[in-house]
Amino acid sequence: MIRKLLLLFLLIPSLLVAADATIPDSQLLLIKNDSPLIAFRILFRNGSANDPAGKEGLAALTSSMIDQAGTKTNDYQKILELLYPMSASYSAQVDKEMTVVYGVTHKDNLTAYYNLLRDAILSPAFKQDDFDRLKTDQLNYVAKSLRFNDDEELAKETLNWGIFKGHPYGHPDAGLVSSVQKLTLDDVKSYYASNYTRKNITIGIAGDYPDSLITQVKKDFAALPAGDAGTDRKLPQPTVADWNVILIDKQTPATGFTFGFPIPLTRSDDDYYPLMLAASWLGQHRSQVGHLFGVMREVRGLNYGDYAYIEYFPFGGRYFQPLPNVGRHQQIFEIWIRPVQNQNRQFALRMAARELQKLIDNGITKEDFETTRNFLLNYSVNLAQSNLEQLGYALDDRFYALTTPYLDIARTRLTSMTMDDVNRAIKKYLSTTNMVVAIVGQDAAGLAKAIVDNTPSPITYESPKPDAVMQEDKQIESYPLPVKADHVTVIPADKIFQ
Amino acid sequence: MKRKLLIVLSLLLFVAASLRAESIFPYKYQETKLDNELRVILIPMKNPGLVSYYTVVHAGSRDEVEPGKSGFAHFFEHMMFRGTDKYPPEKRNDILSNMGADTNAYTTDDFTNYYLHFPTKYLEQVIDLESDRFMNLKYSLPAFQTESRAVLGEYNKNFSNPFVQLDEKIRDVAFDKSSYKHTTIGFIKDIQNMPNEYEYSLQFFQRFYRPENCTILVLGNFDPAQTLTLIKKYYAPWKPGDYATKPIPEPEQSAERRGKIDYQGDTLPIVMAAYKAPAFAVDSKEYAALTLLADLAFGETSPLYQRLVLKEQKADFVQADNDPHRDPYLYQIYARVKDDKDLPAVEQSFYSTLEEMKQKPADPKRLADLKSNLKYGFLMSLDTSKRAGSALVRYIELTHNLEGIDTLFQTFQSVTPEDIQKVAQKYFDPKNRTVITLSGAKQ
Repeated sequence: MIRKLLLLFLLIPSLLVAADATIPDSQLLLIKNDSPLIAFRILFRNGSANDPAGKEGLAALTSSMIDQAGTKTNDYQKILELLYPMSASYSAQVDKEMTVVYGVTHKDNLTAYYNLLRDAILSPAFKQDDFDRLKTDQLNYVAKSLRFNDDEELAKETLNWGIFKGHPYGHPDAGLVSSVQKLTLDDVKSYYASNYTRKNITIGIAGDYPDSLITQVKKDFAALPAGDAGTDRKLPQPTVADWNVILIDKQTPATGFTFGFPIPLTRSDDDYYPLMLAASWLGQHRSQVGHLFGVMREVRGLNYGDYAYIEYFPFGGRYFQPLPNVGRHQQIFEIWIRPVQNQNRQFALRMAARELQKLIDNGITKEDFETTRNFLLNYSVNLAQSNLEQLGYALDDRFYALTTPYLDIARTRLTSMTMDDVNRAIKKYLSTTNMVVAIVGQDAAGLAKAIVDNTPSPITYESPKPDAVMQEDKQIESYPLPVKADHVTVIPADKIFQ
Repeated sequence: MKRKLLIVLSLLLFVAASLRAESIFPYKYQETKLDNELRVILIPMKNPGLVSYYTVVHAGSRDEVEPGKSGFAHFFEHMMFRGTDKYPPEKRNDILSNMGADTNAYTTDDFTNYYLHFPTKYLEQVIDLESDRFMNLKYSLPAFQTESRAVLGEYNKNFSNPFVQLDEKIRDVAFDKSSYKHTTIGFIKDIQNMPNEYEYSLQFFQRFYRPENCTILVLGNFDPAQTLTLIKKYYAPWKPGDYATKPIPEPEQSAERRGKIDYQGDTLPIVMAAYKAPAFAVDSKEYAALTLLADLAFGETSPLYQRLVLKEQKADFVQADNDPHRDPYLYQIYARVKDDKDLPAVEQSFYSTLEEMKQKPADPKRLADLKSNLKYGFLMSLDTSKRAGSALVRYIELTHNLEGIDTLFQTFQSVTPEDIQKVAQKYFDPKNRTVITLSGAKQ
């Protein structure tokens, strides 16, 4: 009996170990097809919203120490040399609520690539010299590149900050100058240990992979710590009251804008889909089909483009289609006005705000509804084409707890949607009562005063415009924006995100 | 992992896909030249429900040889969206909206590319729309003047980007006569004057938007025989022209040139050294060797990268590009450094690296790894019609067909370490270079 009890005693821990020895199937997302390009997306449910107070930028720096630094097996130079003949790489992308490490390899090189990818995530070396390099790079990004090199991305980050003040979303993923300066290697190690866990992970693989790869992956990633139970943090509700204008003062020949407000909708909400149609009609990203593009650029030549969104779309100047794996449980409605010549900037802001109000007041017509619906139904074939994209969309489906793929839901909803559904959603969710406006341009104080004083802003053109346009311009040039002086903030470019 | 987009690799993506004797391109394709000299390349490939349709025009900013007319190839690309009698802008936009087309265009030094990605069932409609605008484009003076302001908007949105400023400066200083002296978007003074050049824009269309100057590329899910029949039908009325750009040859450079950009605002400093380099040709071993040298000497696996970026941490990247061009262009070596005081040392490290490449042949193992990198880079670029099309366009605009892929493959495969040493000795003479530094000036 004692021997049996002893054996049982010895067996039970091994049973317990065996139960924890692999990642469960529920945390795998597998797409098997005949493509020789094997795509990986390894997603962790943590992001910059998990940055501890005073350590903003930590999630991003930790991810850099995974994709741009050495492992316990190879230093970073060696990793680059090993990846080189495969023409493969892996990258980490951090957003507010998720971090994903992704990459693609040809199946000829699968074993060698996977080993490097696995080691990067499971066995980062966390060496001081890599840390020093990557911390400096991140600091330079916030202090110089974000502030000065890309006015449009600066405006978007400023809008985010303005809407989400005091909220876990309310800082750039790369952090603030003062917080990044203080980050230490121990901070990174601590963040990694707490957030790169079995609890948090979903492993996505797509392509013509062998089954043995999956067995290996499940076993290897079981080495991660289990993780705490409560990783899904509760986010406070952002609040925006009245119009708030933030102007970043820097020398530019043209002024960029973006403005918006929080909305309580994500892909898991029924009303997301009619509002998606409304946003597409108003300003489909980087497309001529949008209304704002038509009336601001095509008719008036105000700028390079004007767009509208109900979902976060980073780096819109670089990408024509949305990046997967920037899922957020709290979204904003946003209008993006690309830089406008300074003499027309106030007119452009008024015009965009007025067009939004017209949409709210009048809704969209049956013809516009049908055309936009057809556009979205047919355009969807452009999305999720490659293995890497398909994985990204599927992972986002899980984030939003969708049991049917998002693109399928969208097509189904669009097919049965009516114009009244769209106009009802517009009335319910869109409003110009409360707004945050982010502006990047010169003589910010002068523009601020003009906005607060509602100074008329007439426009002149090189060539005559139709009478209807000229008549409308007269209304636009004095369209009032309800901005009070104590709701305006002017910040020099070298001070934002300090 | 930082992704480096070596522009040269867009061409090299055709190289070394296989060591088989047959064609390296993995898809069956069909090339046809119509009676009016329009070239058509059809590449059916697995792509769920999608077709990618490209029209590549063999004209870019390099063709802007007349003073005061820089930026017109790009401006004209904008005008191509302004409609015809049959399909005025609203009607065209309505059709494209209903079909859910992902459509746009871009212009480079040497070519202009128009593309649409859309569901297969709309292919005939797209052929109709595209053939119509390429033959019958029509726009008014007011539309032209309005669009010129959108071009100015495009220029302005890039104003803060230091690499855009660097590109403007290096060309302006390096070139005297070549039309590569100006960027594709043009000199700002020419952009500002565009509203006054309506007649010139019509002339541009007549000169360059001709069938002998264009190649249609179709990839994805479609029936090739039916598609060719439709293309022949819709493009038949298109008449060839006879205009040929007379490029102004660039005189030989006789001494090093230097320039400086005082960037408004705070930014990381950048140094670029650009050498005059030969034009692209599929059988140019010099071109191939120079291109391979770029990655061997300055890529992420190079000793220079290891020292400057990883060990000394003076720069956050180092790169070299030998971008393929119709005429002799620039071989660009550049780095972004973390402190102004390191600019001279980093610049000198470019030259000491080049001296090493001159003194001894390239490492055979690194060269073999690079050729493997190109093979897999190519194979991995072909997974969707969009990505395959984007890669192929860059090549087609230089040769008008895909047959030269195999020649190019052979050329790159044949490059030896000694070939790389020889081109290093030939092209990297100080008198052949232009150096620009960019530093931030506090506001």
